[in-house]
Amino acid sequence: MATAIDVRGVSRRYGSTTALDDVSVAFEQDVIHGLLGRNGAGKTTLMSIITAQDWPSAGQVEVFGQTPHENEKVLPRICFVREEQRYMDDALAKHAFQAARDAFPHWDQEFAEQLIREFRVPEKTRIKKMSRGQRSAVGVIIGLASRAEVTFFDEPYMGLDAVARQLFYDRLLQDYAEHPRTIVLSSHLIDEIAHLIENVVVIDHGRIMLDESVDELRGKAVTLVGHADSVAEMTAGKELLHRETMGRMARATVLGPLTEAERRRVTELDLDLVPVSLQQLVVHLTSREDQRQTQNEEAAR
Amino acid sequence: MTTSTAPTAPAPAPAPARRSRILSAFRLQFIVRQMVWVPLVVFVVSWLIALGIAAWLRSILDQGVNAGSPIYTGASQAAIWTVAFMAAYAASHTFPFGLALSYSRRVYMTGTALAFLAVSAGFGLLFGIGAALEQATDGFGIHAYNFALPYLMQNGTVGAGVFATLVCLVVMLVGFVSAMLYKRVSVMQLWLIILGLVVVLAAILLLVIQNDALPTLWQWIVEQTPLTLSAWLVAAAAALTALGYGLIRRATP
Repeated sequence: MATAIDVRGVSRRYGSTTALDDVSVAFEQDVIHGLLGRNGAGKTTLMSIITAQDWPSAGQVEVFGQTPHENEKVLPRICFVREEQRYMDDALAKHAFQAARDAFPHWDQEFAEQLIREFRVPEKTRIKKMSRGQRSAVGVIIGLASRAEVTFFDEPYMGLDAVARQLFYDRLLQDYAEHPRTIVLSSHLIDEIAHLIENVVVIDHGRIMLDESVDELRGKAVTLVGHADSVAEMTAGKELLHRETMGRMARATVLGPLTEAERRRVTELDLDLVPVSLQQLVVHLTSREDQRQTQNEEAAR
Repeated sequence: MTTSTAPTAPAPAPAPARRSRILSAFRLQFIVRQMVWVPLVVFVVSWLIALGIAAWLRSILDQGVNAGSPIYTGASQAAIWTVAFMAAYAASHTFPFGLALSYSRRVYMTGTALAFLAVSAGFGLLFGIGAALEQATDGFGIHAYNFALPYLMQNGTVGAGVFATLVCLVVMLVGFVSAMLYKRVSVMQLWLIILGLVVVLAAILLLVIQNDALPTLWQWIVEQTPLTLSAWLVAAAAALTALGYGLIRRATP
């Protein structure tokens, strides 16, 4: 698969603060990537640098093989919708969409109008007077209707209610199926976007902690549901990520795929194998990686 | 898992021509019509208010020793301050959105500077038309002059219009640069810069006084016409545009 975005050794420092520390990651073309991490992890900084809204203190970024900074050959192919986007003073939603139509060569006005109706964006309210959810809807519509070859969504759906969020997920998947492009979704609501993303990049303290496909990631762990004693037997000796009990029933997530013999035993014990929670997996794997790095740093001292 | 050894994606469609991107960045400033309507309303209303005041004053003055003497008002500069604030918004509000629309800073600055030039040219045109009307009607019959001020009319209505255009442009660029500077530096740094400029200007003035050059300087000022001052304003506009780009190059939303 071709690479749309290539980040090599990128660091970003603001005075004494290091927002990104020697980050190297590549985003495949025409894949939906999840850029996950806690608040302040460096997600927005990374996206800002890739989209040339900010620049690295060190390292290189290439989008479609070219440096995006001040590059008009590449920039029109990128769209970055921020969580708190500032718009023109006194602008109505239609002004923002008109400006986006002017800027993005693949803008789909019909699709934008459909989304405006579905998200119920008010026509006569100035954007600065809109609710957070309505402003998020404006950003989401720009991101979707731009049909930019590389689109970043920096948690713009955080202000949306549950119905609107589901609408965003549905429209995103639908449009992505018809118009494949590279999409990067940043979020700290991992389980909510788990069904959308094909690749996971986790960033913490400005460093890449994880960069794997969702399938590979899910293959690293299993969740067993059934009688508590049976679950305990199957999870004995394995690294436990999560366990909850409800009376005599239990649900446990453990690291490591099951062997054939273990799978037969699961069937004998009448246990269920269910999809692993991506959130639990990511949280555990990044905590473990974090501990390992801390130990390495202490050992180096 | 992604890997940086994978081939880089080939470039599909070519990007739109830079000229059309500059045009789009230019249009961005006018999508919200305020940039045109608000200064226009201020221009007309301030003119009408000035005329009203002049008419009232005329009725008072005609009863005394100042009967028939012209009344000069300063309302023509009201619209300039309006567009100065709007130019500042171009830095504080429209610029972050321009980056979200993926305009390069170079294209954004070029489109914005052209927009300022268009607004200033519009102001200069209206100013010239106003001056011509006042000359043709003897100040609307009441010798009230908002635009056809004696100093500005030395090079005729065209000279007055050109001067007004460049004053408006420079003021807009000052508004833009000030707002962009405010984005780039802290409040403390901003005030240190302002105080530094005050110190530099004071030093220049003191040097002029120390060298008995004040009469020479005054003579030079008095000898300037709207067109010669316009030439200086062109240089100022060019310098401010360069400064604006210098500030915007490293500005983030």
